[in-house]
Amino acid sequence: MMAEKLDLNTLVEDHRVHRRIYTEPQVFALEMERIFESGWVFLGHDSEVAAAGDFKQVRFGSQPAIMTRDEDGAIQVLMNRCMHRGATICQEERGNARHFRCWYHGWTYNGRGELVGLPYPGGYGKNFDRSRFSLIRAAKVANYRGLVFASLSADVEELPDYLGKARYYIDLFMDLSPQGAVEARAGTHKYGYDGNWKFQMENGVDGYHANFVHQAFFEIQGKRLGRRVMKLFNETSPLESKDLGHGHSLLDTAPRRSSPRLVSNILRGQVPAEIGDAYVQSLVARNGEARAAEILAASNVNLAVFPNLLIIGIQLRNVIPISFNRTEVFLTPTTLCGVHEAINVARLRAHEAFYGPAGGGAPDDVEMFNRCQAGLAVKGAEWLELSRGLERETVGEDGVIAAHLTDEVPQRAFYKRWREIMCGVATAARPSVTLAAAGS
Amino acid sequence: MATLSRSAVEDLLYAEALILDERRYDAWLAMLTADAIYWIPSNGPGRDPTREIAIVYDDFERLSDRVRRLESGLAHAQSPPSQTRRLIGNVTVAEAQDNAMSIGSNFLLYHLRRGRERIFAGRYEHRLRCVEGVWKIAAKKVVLVNNDEVIDNLTFIV
Ligand SMILES: [Fe+2]
Repeated sequence: MMAEKLDLNTLVEDHRVHRRIYTEPQVFALEMERIFESGWVFLGHDSEVAAAGDFKQVRFGSQPAIMTRDEDGAIQVLMNRCMHRGATICQEERGNARHFRCWYHGWTYNGRGELVGLPYPGGYGKNFDRSRFSLIRAAKVANYRGLVFASLSADVEELPDYLGKARYYIDLFMDLSPQGAVEARAGTHKYGYDGNWKFQMENGVDGYHANFVHQAFFEIQGKRLGRRVMKLFNETSPLESKDLGHGHSLLDTAPRRSSPRLVSNILRGQVPAEIGDAYVQSLVARNGEARAAEILAASNVNLAVFPNLLIIGIQLRNVIPISFNRTEVFLTPTTLCGVHEAINVARLRAHEAFYGPAGGGAPDDVEMFNRCQAGLAVKGAEWLELSRGLERETVGEDGVIAAHLTDEVPQRAFYKRWREIMCGVATAARPSVTLAAAGS
Repeated sequence: MATLSRSAVEDLLYAEALILDERRYDAWLAMLTADAIYWIPSNGPGRDPTREIAIVYDDFERLSDRVRRLESGLAHAQSPPSQTRRLIGNVTVAEAQDNAMSIGSNFLLYHLRRGRERIFAGRYEHRLRCVEGVWKIAAKKVVLVNNDEVIDNLTFIV
């Protein structure tokens, strides 16, 4: 078999990326190691493990883990692997358990991962030290306004620093609740596709595709609502795309809805007027008029948090890489704490209209990811072009790079970070990998 | 008391299955009442749609939009379209009142798209109502066995 040296540095340029970042299993393996096993990864919402003993299975790339709340109320992230002979110790996707027992030989761990049950201990010598057999724990676990992230490496920035300018938008999303909190306990949409995980991360903050992939949805819904939705995504749209730093990015919908009254009117179509007005009033009471308007303006955010979280509409979207050409995506809708039930019902129904495996929008995106993976088998056309808007970018005083909504600012932001991690300073000693010749 | 015999119920379910397998969506809409609900629960049996996300929870208006979109030529996830054949069995009449019936049935649905074969299985729960002498579908709930699993594409009408 032919082998060749490939410099990862040459696969990502400022305005284009090489097809091999989507098609090479070896690049995928390095992504797991350097991105998903070495840095902050989004795992879920803390309301998913609200009570002591609640657990949910999660993943760091291909590694199975458990997010659970221990008896002291702390969220623990434990690797799902018995320290005896390797079997997974947790089988259900979600549940509540005081202990995790490996049913192969009965080794039992508590919610902090400590080995508390060792059957027939007489067979082990006097010097057998149980404390050496605690489950592997994530090196860092942190919660930002309910969003739970963890890192298998201790060598990471503190989470608030890592989130950086994305925090402002996460705050807006959470502050849509008059209690400043959302819950993620209404179930999850799960879909998959035969394509690379990065397609989904690119697409969640892609303002250029909407009028093509979603034309039929927008036209039919627009007719129903008497609104011209496609105007938001065409060349004269007043909206912007933004690079927030750290690989995080945004489609900024703020200019669209700016006054509480306007949003109250939008809600009016979905919930009785008095409920919509009371909701807006509750936000004003908690936040003041100006901040309430600011919060409501963000009610349709598209935010990408590197590497695997998208916050879109009402949902937390977790992108789960399975292999270089297989991805699973979990969409968990949120409900607002402290609002009339009708508002949360309206949120759920609005989400279903577009998202999920049978939605009117998301499956058409997914179809494009399948088509991209298939098309990238073509050799000779080696690059994917991401230069749109490069010449009309502006840089704000806060360092945020912005351009038109349809520009590929978010995608460039993602790959800037990707290159830093995959072949940047920290990993300069290992930018080259040996790749088997493609197709062999 | 106006109710249907089980074989008449079966005929109705078979007719619906054929219409859906042939993607004659307008004919399907014509089988529904104006207040019909089409519900595919997510993550389990589907207990309370006001507290749970569903894979689909369409009223007639939204369902009409869905059909318009499927027939627009721009529903990319159905280009090429899903080819399906479904078998229906184990039909039970759960409830029979005057002009209204609740029917349960099992289905096995073979699905082919782009050379990839998939099989879906589950239970249909139909609520039928007799409107001016014609039996129509007032609600259709589809409890897929795999509704808590990853599903790549469910954009055809189940
Ligand atoms: Fe899209």
